[in-house]
Amino acid sequence: MIALNEHFRRYDFESDLEKALNRVDFFRIFHTMALRYGFEHFGVLQLTNEHETSLLAQRLTLHDLPAGLAEAYDKRHRFNDSDLFKSFYVSTISTVWRDGDRAADQGSPHESFLDQIGFDMALSVPVHSVAGTRFVILFLGDGDDIGRTEHFEICYEAACAFDYFHRQVLANKAGMGLTPRETEILRWISYGKTASEIALIVSVSEHTVNSHTATILKKLDVVNRTQMVAKAIREQIIQ
Amino acid sequence: MAAHVNILLVDDDPAENVILSALMRKVTSYAITLHYVETIDGALDFIRSSGIALDMILMDNRLQPQADFRETVPELRRAGYIGPVGVISSSISDAYFQKIDDYGVDFRIDKAELDPTAIEFLLREYVRREASAG
Repeated sequence: MIALNEHFRRYDFESDLEKALNRVDFFRIFHTMALRYGFEHFGVLQLTNEHETSLLAQRLTLHDLPAGLAEAYDKRHRFNDSDLFKSFYVSTISTVWRDGDRAADQGSPHESFLDQIGFDMALSVPVHSVAGTRFVILFLGDGDDIGRTEHFEICYEAACAFDYFHRQVLANKAGMGLTPRETEILRWISYGKTASEIALIVSVSEHTVNSHTATILKKLDVVNRTQMVAKAIREQIIQ
Repeated sequence: MAAHVNILLVDDDPAENVILSALMRKVTSYAITLHYVETIDGALDFIRSSGIALDMILMDNRLQPQADFRETVPELRRAGYIGPVGVISSSISDAYFQKIDDYGVDFRIDKAELDPTAIEFLLREYVRREASAG
């Protein structure tokens, strides 16, 4: 993890974030953040072009929603037509959506996301990566309204957690050097070994081998294992 | 029908088996069978001779007589288990938890963080057999 400049002021979030290694660690961070502020669930949504059809399930890069909820939503509703989705393309201000607030908003031509998904409250925190790609951290729950101070705090925490999550997990790492473990796996791939065989040889899980392989693909900027090995030999990463 | 998964819990405290079994029953999108052994030798026997294909192993970090996961998890790997291994510990802030990958561990999780939502997430992430819900 690239250390941030120590001279800037930041607030007591470093320990967990600096130590976060993988998607499970960021799941833990966002999940406990949601619970701490009275929500039940979180979702990290990636935004693209407003007019491109967006399935909720495909936009969620990390979430703790009950299994099948996003897919069930997509079968019944068009996420693009919801008030929540539309709002992301009007403003980047963090917003609280409450079931009870809607009476004042009856003139809205868009469908209520809260009605559609079945929660009483949502809080959105629009964020973006250093490369400019847009994301929204969404918190959902049925609890009491969130106060101003807590709203400010969760915005700050969510933005910080997202920053680490993006740099550690989501960022395109093209051009970055391979770690010794990645180089070792690359070498076994070049010998024609399968993921399960490499897992046995290197004493890790097959999941870990696949995850390292995906990172090597990103770092070498290639699309498959054949091109990966060819490029690694050309670049003299392996002999 | 919810997808069926087999998880092995390795923990020297039988109370943890009771607690985790209750948690697993609250997970609705997977039908989980939680198998339980108290020691790493028990786990190795289970892997070698039970005939059950394990989808995940959850290990207590500290198991007697070994010190911590750095001694136990490599033994599971040497026995040929290549599925996901998660280490459960009340405290995961010690520096050596940064090295999980070197010892064949897939993820770490605090005991207090293990709730039905977290278990569902872990299964989705590591087992991926489609939950039937939805």
